[in-house]
Amino acid sequence: MSTPLQVYEPFKAGLPKLGRYWKSLWSRRTFIAEHSKSELREQHFDTAFGQFWLVINPLLLSGVYFILIVIIGGKTDTTRYVHLTGTLFLFYLVSNSLSSGVKAVTSGQRLILNTAFPRIMLPLSSVVIALFKFFPTIIVFIVIKAVVGSSFSIEMLWAIPILLITTLLALGLAITISCINVYFRDMASFLPYMTRTLLYLSPILYEASTLKPGLRILEYVNPLFPILDSWSRALVYGQNPELSSMLAGLGWAAGIFFIGTYIFLSREREFAVRL
Amino acid sequence: MSSLSVSNSHKTKEIAVSVRDVSLTYSTTIDRRPTFKTRVKALARGKKQTRVVQALRNVNLDVEYGHVLGVIGANGAGKSSLMRCIAGILPPSQGRIEVYGSVSTLLALGVGFNPSMSGRTNVYLGGLAAGMSREEINGHFDEIASFSELGDAIDAPMRTYSSGMFARLAFSVAATVRPDILIIDEALSTGDAKFKEKSLNRVKELRSDDRALILVSHAMQTLRETCNDVVWLDKGKVISRGEPNQVIDAYQEFLQVGKSAAIDEDV
Repeated sequence: MSTPLQVYEPFKAGLPKLGRYWKSLWSRRTFIAEHSKSELREQHFDTAFGQFWLVINPLLLSGVYFILIVIIGGKTDTTRYVHLTGTLFLFYLVSNSLSSGVKAVTSGQRLILNTAFPRIMLPLSSVVIALFKFFPTIIVFIVIKAVVGSSFSIEMLWAIPILLITTLLALGLAITISCINVYFRDMASFLPYMTRTLLYLSPILYEASTLKPGLRILEYVNPLFPILDSWSRALVYGQNPELSSMLAGLGWAAGIFFIGTYIFLSREREFAVRL
Repeated sequence: MSSLSVSNSHKTKEIAVSVRDVSLTYSTTIDRRPTFKTRVKALARGKKQTRVVQALRNVNLDVEYGHVLGVIGANGAGKSSLMRCIAGILPPSQGRIEVYGSVSTLLALGVGFNPSMSGRTNVYLGGLAAGMSREEINGHFDEIASFSELGDAIDAPMRTYSSGMFARLAFSVAATVRPDILIIDEALSTGDAKFKEKSLNRVKELRSDDRALILVSHAMQTLRETCNDVVWLDKGKVISRGEPNQVIDAYQEFLQVGKSAAIDEDV
């Protein structure tokens, strides 16, 4: 068997060799899964009560927001509640990826200082955890939809590509914010305000079609706007999402993922001296 | 980032690690916890926010298969930085490092462990973090459990372990990895005297013709007994390299501690 040769030389900036990096990341997939599972077990999501809390927490939140909508907006209907619940669950996928991802690198200090591995594994693991938390909420959403008598249709399958786009966006955001937090540790303190603002600027408490013309700019500046609008059209109303919304969502997700990954990969070799 | 599960056959005297003219300089923040707030404050006051650390200076070093190289030096001499460069954790600022084979690092114990999980789960977490596959860990699990002497406590959460129990399990996992090149940094000074001896014996077992070992330690007697060569680092520079007794004697003379019984007996 030939001896594997590793050469370590100075780097100025830029990306590592991507083929080798990907191979190394792929060889660590079992560790990513085990690491994510252990984090979930630590938060008791392997127990019945843990699973219950996982579902009841966003459900209670959606109830609170629904009351808010009724008080502020007056009369409302069950479809509005289905929209609120469905979009809130998807929003939580992104929000959980961010809250877990922000400290992914800084809390992995011991691993980073003592083992050579692709550092991107850490924010990736945060998104895997957020996905594990998201999947049970899909079942709850389907139950709610059935209970309120909302119809099911083939167009609902659009949810699959929309979920893939959302995961790409969540990954891009988690990678970017985990890297920023190495240099500015108070990023974690700002994050709750940022996610709360993002929640209000997204079509969750309201529907995209009801937005005032003066606020239409939100469709273009908020990456989650076209994604949540498409999600609601497909899952709540059983309609085909608009192509322009799908493309805008994909564009945002791919853009944030590639820029964030570039920044992360070009900086990750100095994380060991920054932690 | 090579896989540890691949072990290649090497001949004694073949080069395992070649370090050529390596320097490591990096800038790090003055604040231990850099924040946006402190950055803005420092900018407003015109204060420096980073400091430059020169950890290694023109280091040249070869490690051959079949050899055990000891690394000594005072705190801050650059020993751990050099090990991190060889392991690919830190890229050098100058020079070139060639590593011919799979590397495993034992720079700290319990890397990848989650204290909330049981010892059993942590055997898998630690092993996977060290680059082993699940199948390899399955195959070695009984050996790890037996070496750690934890008995039924292996199924208890690790947060309930004493520091000695934690160290025993962590060393047992780490010592199971069978790489071509093994770097051990201060990891032998764990557990009680009996376990220290057991760990040292395991390291001696790991010496073989087709493996290279690099041992960083302040335990001089261990290095005298175990190593073929010792290199002495000071302020990032190689001061001397050669036969263990000669280099260690010179280092101890430099430290003006002579043959301290305390140092000799610490394994």
